[in-house]
Amino acid sequence: MIDKYKQAFQEEARELLVELESALLELDQKRDDREVVGRAFRALHTIKGSGAMFGFDDVAGFAHNLETAFDRLRNGQIAATADLINLTLAAGDQIKTMLDEAAGRGNVDHLRSASILAELQELTGLSDTRPDAAHLSPAAPGAPGVAAHDWDIHFRPGPAVLLNGINPLLLLRELRELGRLQIDLDTSAIPPLGSIDAEHCYLAWNMVLTTTVEPEAIRDVFIFVEDDCELSIERAPDQAASAPDAPLAMVVAVNPPALTAAKPKLRDAAGPVSQGAASSIRVSTEKLDQLVNLVGELVTVQARLSEVAGRRDDVDILDISEAVDRLTAALRENSMSIRMLPLKTTFERFRRLVHDLSADLHKEVDFTIEGADTELDKTVIDRLNDPLVHLIRNSMDHGIETPEARRTAGKPPIATIHLSARHAGANVLIRVSDDGRGLDVEAVRARAIEQGLIDPATRLSEAEIFSLILAPGFSTAREVTDVSGRGVGMDVVRRSIEALRGSIDIASKPGEGLTVTLRLPLTLAIIDGLLVRVGEAHFILPLANSLECVELTRQDILDAHGKHIANVRGEIIPYIRLSEYFQMGPSRPEREQIMVVETEHGHYGFVVDQVLGDHQTVIKNLGRLYRNVQVVSGATILGNGSVALILDPHRLVQNVVQSGSQNKRSDGRNARHNNSVDRHESARSNLSVPKGQE
Amino acid sequence: MAKVILTVDDSASVRQMVKFTLADAGYKVIEAVDGRDALSKLTNPVNLVITDLNMPNLDGIGLIRQVRANPACKGIPIIMLTTESQETRKLEGKAAGATGWIVKPFATQQLLAVVKRVLG
Repeated sequence: MIDKYKQAFQEEARELLVELESALLELDQKRDDREVVGRAFRALHTIKGSGAMFGFDDVAGFAHNLETAFDRLRNGQIAATADLINLTLAAGDQIKTMLDEAAGRGNVDHLRSASILAELQELTGLSDTRPDAAHLSPAAPGAPGVAAHDWDIHFRPGPAVLLNGINPLLLLRELRELGRLQIDLDTSAIPPLGSIDAEHCYLAWNMVLTTTVEPEAIRDVFIFVEDDCELSIERAPDQAASAPDAPLAMVVAVNPPALTAAKPKLRDAAGPVSQGAASSIRVSTEKLDQLVNLVGELVTVQARLSEVAGRRDDVDILDISEAVDRLTAALRENSMSIRMLPLKTTFERFRRLVHDLSADLHKEVDFTIEGADTELDKTVIDRLNDPLVHLIRNSMDHGIETPEARRTAGKPPIATIHLSARHAGANVLIRVSDDGRGLDVEAVRARAIEQGLIDPATRLSEAEIFSLILAPGFSTAREVTDVSGRGVGMDVVRRSIEALRGSIDIASKPGEGLTVTLRLPLTLAIIDGLLVRVGEAHFILPLANSLECVELTRQDILDAHGKHIANVRGEIIPYIRLSEYFQMGPSRPEREQIMVVETEHGHYGFVVDQVLGDHQTVIKNLGRLYRNVQVVSGATILGNGSVALILDPHRLVQNVVQSGSQNKRSDGRNARHNNSVDRHESARSNLSVPKGQE
Repeated sequence: MAKVILTVDDSASVRQMVKFTLADAGYKVIEAVDGRDALSKLTNPVNLVITDLNMPNLDGIGLIRQVRANPACKGIPIIMLTTESQETRKLEGKAAGATGWIVKPFATQQLLAVVKRVLG
């Protein structure tokens, strides 16, 4: 193996000598060009460094003297004279003969080497600084002592240790390899939560190491940090070694599993199902569904327990209730993760589909997959297959042109279809995009008018027009396909996705391709929600998209001059007042709260009377009557037995933005809550807010 | 997943040695010929950087400074390769935020020991 390196060094050194030579010749022309001196220096430096590493000690030693000379030249301590340049050229030739000798060709004239060095000394006034062999060869590890001793080690790394890329844990691990190690963690320097800088290290360790190695070897472990840390390594008094039981009460013995336990546990929770056959068992889906149902019931009961405990104001019961709360949350997360599967198998299946279709249709397609490790509830994955097949078929069939057509259009003849998945809050986004001919906005619009889907006078945004191809009436019109390149059975896709409480977005540029984005909830059973109160009613907002809660005072409202916008730390956030949206009467408390939520339309606020806190939310489906209520994604049962509706912030914002844009284009993104919104939504809102709920 | 190590050196033979040694130990090694090249390769996830100090375009110290100033990768360990004559450069490198150093010439075991120390 080392021969392979030697060969590589031989080749490289010869290249460097050529570089050195050209630099020297250039230097001869421009005597004070620092850049050129630097080039020569680097060449010599590398020859020296690599030479020593691969056992070319004579080359390294020789180059070292030249390097020293050029270092002085570089720093302006000596001048580049013609003599020095000529001598260095000769030295370069000498190095070449050394390399030749090592490769088995010819012999080195050692007298000549000596004379060159002597001449160099004369020119630069330097003595032979050739480093001794001990320096050049790797240091030998110190011989271990015989008897084991106890060492008291105190180690407090400097605050910036993490910023410099040191992981103190690894140092402790290395220490443990030297002998038996007892570690006591000193957390006394951790400041209050408010002033913690997450990038600083506040920890210190007091350790007792029982080892046979020399103290230098212990110190060596800390070599990279010793300059900026508190470190003391002292021989422990002997009685400590003879009676180790006494301090043990204070000291935590650390075993390898204890240090590493935390991370694997997290991993296990994330994907036990996907871990391969060896460590998994097959369980019928029914049993899993049952488990999740039971956990759902448990969560509901737990909510009642919390409620009752809160009312009783009994410390003991509160304590139990909190413990149950934590356990339920963990149990919930665990049982949900069991149902999670990576999208890989589903995605990979489409490779075959694309392959077969491209042969049938005589189109060349490069199919790429991204984010196949993204996990999604098994039920969702199962029901995702058909819509995806549909979308990919559509892309292949209508979107992508024949290779000839692509060439004429100036595109690469091989088309691409990209299938990707990624997490976004409590949702997973699945994208199918192609670089085919895309959708023609005007053609879609004309067709929609023709079919009576929209009024010719309505002004719609591009996204709104594209969403028309999802409408049922638009589906089977074959001739549209020829114009628009799309439109077969998209309403089927839409229905399947909406059944999963997902949504579809379409983006396209004519001639450049089309992207369909499916937004799906991570799970259909239980989510983390935030319980809020508006008037007498309670609502749940999904926690995953929520950013923060801030207060909205009368003054804030006055400052905005009637517009529904709030200034949250300098950011202008449009908001929707839920009591107005749902027409819940005029009463308005002195202080309201805004929940800031991340949506596709940027940050949006939802104004509520009060934010009550987290709520593990078991999603119950609404009855058939309410199926068309878009802004509500389900309902849940609260601890006191009443019902709270789960709001879909994404849809809420979309509705407001859309009705806002239809009625008041000039207002843009502004979520002005004008009456038209109410009118537009009134049919739905009356349904979605059962006033008699309480 | 194999940890990714970026070796930055203008000497191909040093890069090759680092690469072979670490690849044998199960790491994934990518190479860069100087600091500027290294910065362009740091756009992908890298677990450790091993860099020479003397390089054209952008030298090792400059590379360390730029990595530490970049929020996307500022916490990654950086090991510099120094020579015994470069004590001041070593201090400069430490001040710039280098995690550790290896003195050239070094044996493969030393390299592995240092990599293990900072990478686990």
